[in-house]
Amino acid sequence: MKIIAAPAIASAAAMFTFGALAQDKPKPKGDVAFGEYLSSLCVTCHLPSGKAVGGIPPIVAWPEDQFVAVVNSYRWKERDNEVMQTVTAQLSDDEIAALAAYFGGLPNQPEVAK
Amino acid sequence: MINRRHVLIGGSALAAGSVLSAPMVRAQGKPKVVVIGGGAGGATAAKYIAKDSKGEIEVTLIEPKEAYTTCFHSNLYLGGFKTFDEITHKYDKLVSSYGIKHVRQWANAIDRDKKQVVLADGSRVAYDRLVVSPGIDLKYDSVAGWGKEHEEVMPHAWQAGPQTQILKKQLDAVKDGQTIVMIAPPNPYRCPPGPYERVSMMAHALKSSGRGKARIIILDPKENFSKQGLFQQAWEKYYPGLVEWLGPKVHDGIKSVDPKTMTVVTGFETYKNCALVNVIPAQRAGKIVIDAGLANQTGFCPINPENMASASDPNIFILGDASIAGDMPKSGFSANSQAKVAALMIRGELTKSRTFPARYANTCWSLVAPDDTVKVGGRYEPKPDKITAAETFLSKLDETPEHRKQVQTENIGWYAGITADMFT
Ligand SMILES: Cc1cc2nc3c(=O)[nH]c(=O)nc-3n(C[C@H](O)[C@H](O)[C@H](O)COP(=O)(O)OP(=O)(O)OC[C@H]3O[C@@H](n4cnc5c(N)ncnc54)[C@H](O)[C@@H]3O)c2cc1C
Ligand code: HEC
Repeated sequence: MKIIAAPAIASAAAMFTFGALAQDKPKPKGDVAFGEYLSSLCVTCHLPSGKAVGGIPPIVAWPEDQFVAVVNSYRWKERDNEVMQTVTAQLSDDEIAALAAYFGGLPNQPEVAK
Repeated sequence: MINRRHVLIGGSALAAGSVLSAPMVRAQGKPKVVVIGGGAGGATAAKYIAKDSKGEIEVTLIEPKEAYTTCFHSNLYLGGFKTFDEITHKYDKLVSSYGIKHVRQWANAIDRDKKQVVLADGSRVAYDRLVVSPGIDLKYDSVAGWGKEHEEVMPHAWQAGPQTQILKKQLDAVKDGQTIVMIAPPNPYRCPPGPYERVSMMAHALKSSGRGKARIIILDPKENFSKQGLFQQAWEKYYPGLVEWLGPKVHDGIKSVDPKTMTVVTGFETYKNCALVNVIPAQRAGKIVIDAGLANQTGFCPINPENMASASDPNIFILGDASIAGDMPKSGFSANSQAKVAALMIRGELTKSRTFPARYANTCWSLVAPDDTVKVGGRYEPKPDKITAAETFLSKLDETPEHRKQVQTENIGWYAGITADMFT
């Protein structure tokens, strides 16, 4: 009985949290869960805390549209940086939207050493 | 006893189920992933499986060391650009942040039939999926006259740690006018540009400390090497007369070394009383995968390009230097990239989470002089026969000093990124 009841409570809680969030912030356009997976391609270089180290700039907490525009400029080879051009070359529009949604939702906390 | 144990496991599974509302919790407990080796591949895989499964998978990391010294940027340590502490990282956050169990032991064997790992103390750890990222073993019999018993006199420093410190100490003791010999490794080996970045950093250390009349001779068994044009241009520019590269046609074979007299004999010349001899021998995958029958005649392990699973055992995933990863070089970046693919696929198999087609990437930066870094990299896709390069890039010979300086800042940032990705 317990094991059946537990997920029901958890998902009710999840819906509640989601509802609360939705009032504060517009719903992200991209698929955040997909973005979280794709972000593993990026965090070999970019720190998820938003801390800038050396020549690797922070990419968290950006407005989604701006993020998409900048990533597209590497993908279309308008901005020239070989590593960024190569890593973005195969990304689709949906994937870039997902990344924008995921990174856009991360708090900027450069003091965390991550 | 058996009943009580079952009750206990069932009880904890129920508790986990109600807290996390995990749909996959089964009577016999959570699925188990065991990771052998806490390097670039293993630490990343352990972290991602534990982090992304949010408690649904039990992850055990088997790695005897308390802290891992990266081979990457160990050449910057030789060149005086980093301290030893800066290239050494502890595992404690993997335990405290993600609940990974760190077993500080050597894994002696893999019992593939029973799906268990046999530890040095004889105990066994059961797995549903096993990740093995043991790195390389050195072929101590590949250079005549040299063996494990000589590695403190003629260090390899191709597995980072005390070896790296010995090499640095010997480099610091070289006097102006003395001779250093590096014996470069034959293909395939870990980090294709590594030996040549190392020579650049040794040359920088000598030149910047008033020892510009020392010389470094590279005896290479290969006809050519990674980023050759870029390295040779840099050596001409920054260290003229200091670095000499000799391919097999010139040295006519590396015949033997004598650690007692610090002598290196080639078909062409005998180098006596060398101040430092850095022997980088031939390599193969870590012993554990060879003993388990996972390697082929090359000494490395064939894998399925879609998911990094062993070509001969779908329950075992082989990452990093030990794998035959097609067009991907043996690098820390590659191992980290492969680990993320394997982590995704393993979670998909064990918890039915979403999976996506594999994507692999690599970039290797090499510091050739202060503020002058070159890079090579690419992205890679699984094809039926091997992981195949889809797009690659390489620094050009005519780049501006400003550009090269910018590339070095990427290298510094990447190191912070990958080590945070592995250990925090
Ligand atoms: C001088 C040098 C410079 C380099 N520079 C770069 C660079 O700039 N960029 C880059 O990307 N790569 C670089 N590399 C390459 C990089 O270090 C390796 O490719 C990378 O570490 C491979 O990762 P791995 O997980 O396969 O093995 P490793 O990182 O070597 O990890 C293997 C781990 O497994 C453990 N282990 C092995 N067998 C067992 C066992 N039986 N039981 C328990 N534990 C075990 C070992 O203790 C070790 O910690 C460099 C290498 C060298 C030598
Ligand atoms: C190999 C290292 C590396 C990887 C991996 C990487 N980046 Fe970058 N990224 C860089 C560098 C270096 C720059 C700065 C480039 C420049 O000077 O234009 C950059 C710049 C950016 C910028 C612009 C930042 C700004 O302030 O202008 C964005 C956005 C970005 N990256 C997103 C991503 C995303 C998304 C991914 C994953 C899909 C990713 N990066 C993966 C190295 C990397």
